[in-house]
Formats: sequence, structure tokens, C-alpha cells
Amino acid sequence: MPPVHLRFTGLARRFGRLAVLRGVGGEVGAGRVLVVTGANGSGKSTLLRCLAGLLAPDAGTIDHREEGDDGPLAAAERRLRVGYVAPDLALYEELTAGENLDFFARLRGVDPARGRVLLARLDLPADRPAGALSSGMRQKLRWAWALLHRPRLLLLDEPFQNLDAAGAAAAGELLAEHLGAGGAAVLAQPTAPTLDPRLAVADRVELAG
Amino acid sequence: MSSWLAEAAAVFAKDWRSEARTRYALNTLGLFALTTLVLVSVGLGPMGVSAAGAQVLPFLLWIVLLFAAAAGLPRAFVQEEETHTATALRLAARPSTVFWGKLAYALSLTLALEVLVAPLFLAMVQLEVAAPGLFAAGLAAGGFGLAAASTVVAAIIAQARARGTLFAVLSFPILVPLLLLVVEVTRNAVAGEPAGDALRQLLLYDGAVAVAGSMLFPAIWNP
Repeated sequence: MPPVHLRFTGLARRFGRLAVLRGVGGEVGAGRVLVVTGANGSGKSTLLRCLAGLLAPDAGTIDHREEGDDGPLAAAERRLRVGYVAPDLALYEELTAGENLDFFARLRGVDPARGRVLLARLDLPADRPAGALSSGMRQKLRWAWALLHRPRLLLLDEPFQNLDAAGAAAAGELLAEHLGAGGAAVLAQPTAPTLDPRLAVADRVELAG
Repeated sequence: MSSWLAEAAAVFAKDWRSEARTRYALNTLGLFALTTLVLVSVGLGPMGVSAAGAQVLPFLLWIVLLFAAAAGLPRAFVQEEETHTATALRLAARPSTVFWGKLAYALSLTLALEVLVAPLFLAMVQLEVAAPGLFAAGLAAGGFGLAAASTVVAAIIAQARARGTLFAVLSFPILVPLLLLVVEVTRNAVAGEPAGDALRQLLLYDGAVAVAGSMLFPAIWNP
């Protein structure tokens, strides 16, 4: 079995009378990126929240499994396995960047040193309160948070938003390492990103909105 | 330490660390409790020395504790939703560890509130307690019930819009049996009578709310 494989078919989700997702499908495997594009409001974030197990789709199937799994992961298990970068994800403003990662490292049973390494890679000060970080620095902290537990599947919702050139390069480097280690990623952006040539794009899904 | 216990302890420690920085709950609970204590003391004077005191004052003590707790405890989950940190918590911790970590935090706040309020209340109204052991047991069991019920209700209302109103509406049917039982235990303690069935029923209430809350929580937490 490959280290990770994700296939979703016929995903649909409504919010009241508004149908945000209508029969969306896609697939991604180890070492590959699935790029999801679409205009604002086309359902990219909703799709990623469904894939992360944060939102239950009204219809469709999500088959996410990793090496050693007997079958598709349940939503509760998917939530704990994925790495997730999204604008609606916030960390504790009253805690420093380092304290935030220490807390989540304890929750995930990960060596806290991993958090410090990621902060250093992203050039982010560990001792600054998250509430005092700029929007670009918060985005870097989301990256560090998402990679803390070495997930095999990364779900990235506009992951390069607010990053400067150096920050985007550092994040791209971490993404390339993740894929090189057999991980997979779903990347959602309004338009197709200019990806590093090392990042293999498996497929593209265009959401109509 | 098992991974489950370590997770729950991490949630508990994080909540206290955040509280140490913001002081929101401590300030709210402390100020509300002291204000109501002063009002009761000024309004009633040394009522503890009168015959009616032993009947009325246990009610007043628990009303003070209940309203002070209601002012601060619901923040446990509401703040996670309002500041959008709930998503990160949902993606990193099992629901049961979040529930028990938050419950432990609410319980520690409630016990701290009781340690502050109960001695001041007894001194201000000059109420003597004939059975201090039973009085302390009532405070501990009542505090646990208050913390457990508040945690469950706080988790529910955090998902809703009209949070303030909803807390009062949902808390009422859950907290009334607790108040009736814990007042009975406190009255018995003041009068020096045996605990009777009230303490046993109070412990059963505590267990029922904690177990039911623990079972319901995953469905509440992951809508």
C-alpha cells in the first residue's frame, strides 16, 4: 500500500438553500499535489473542510487511507491525521509561537523540539505572542502547526497568502520535503499557483461556483 | 502518563496558562463573588445568629456561587469558537480529552471560587457550621456538579448565536436539581445533622452529568 492515498467522489454540500459543492471528485497519492482552483465562493474551503473531517458532506464519499490502514479513515480519525493550513485557522493569541507549538506537540505526542526546528526553518521568533505576529508571520505559524506531527496528507487552503518571497520559498521547501518523503497535498487557490518544478502536480479540479 | 491523560492534562494546563495571561475568568468570578458577598452582608447583617439563618443562608451561599460561576465558566468553549482556535483543537485532540481537560479547568476555577467565597460568607453573616467535614464535602460535590454541568452547557452554547440567553435557558433544568441537593447537604452541615440521602443523590447527580456529558460531547464538539 502507498504511504497515503486520497480519493473523493460526488461530494456535495449545501448551506441552507445554497449548494456550495455539487458532485466534486478528485484523487491524489504519495508525492503528488492535487490543485483545486475556483473563484471566491466556489467552495474550495468547504471542500477542504470536508476532506479534513471538519464538515460532513451531504453526499459523496471520502476515501483517505494511509499505510497500515485496513480501510478508509473515519472523519474523527481523518481530523487527527491531516495537516491543515487555512485562513480560518487561528492559534492562541495570548501564547507565544513556541508555547502554541509546545501545546500542540503535547496533544499530538510529538517531541517539542520539532516545533522549534520548524519555527527556525520559517524564520519565526518562538518567543513572540501569536497575537503580536503580522499576518505573514501568522501564516508561517500555521505552516509550522500543520507540519508538527509529520502528517502524510496536507490540506492547504491558500497557503501562500500574505507570505513574502522568503516565506513562500521556505514554505515551498517544506512542501517539497513533505512530498519527497511520500506525503501528498491538496492545494486550493483562486488561480493555479506557480509551483516549484519539484512539486509534481497530479491533477487539477476546477470548481465552477 | 498515558497519552490520553497527557492530552487532557495539556488542555488543562493550556487553559490555565491562557487564563494567567488574560485573567478574564478570575477577574469575572472574583469581582462578581465579592460584590454579591458585600451586598448580602450589608443587606442581612449577622443573620447567622438568628434561627432563620440556618435555613436561609445555605440558599444564599449557593446562589452567590452559582451566579459567580455562571458569569465566568461558559467562556471555556465560547472563547475557543470566537477566536477560531477551536478548529486547531478539533484537529489535534480527541474530543474526550478536550472535555475532561476543560472540565478539570472549570472544576479548579470553581474550587478556587469556593475557597474564596465560603469562609468570607460564613464570617460576614456569622454563620456557624456544626459539621465542617460535611460542609466541605458539600462544597466539593456541589462544585464538581456545577463545573460538569457548566462545561456541558458551555460546549452546547458555543455552537449557537444567542449564547447569553441560551446559557440561562439550558442551565436552568440542569442546575435546579443540583442546587436543591447541595443546599440540603449544606443545611444539614450547618445544623450538625447527618448527611442523609441528599449527599448520596448529589454524588449520583455528579456522576450522571459527567458521564452523560462525556458521551454527548463528541457530537456537540464536531457538528
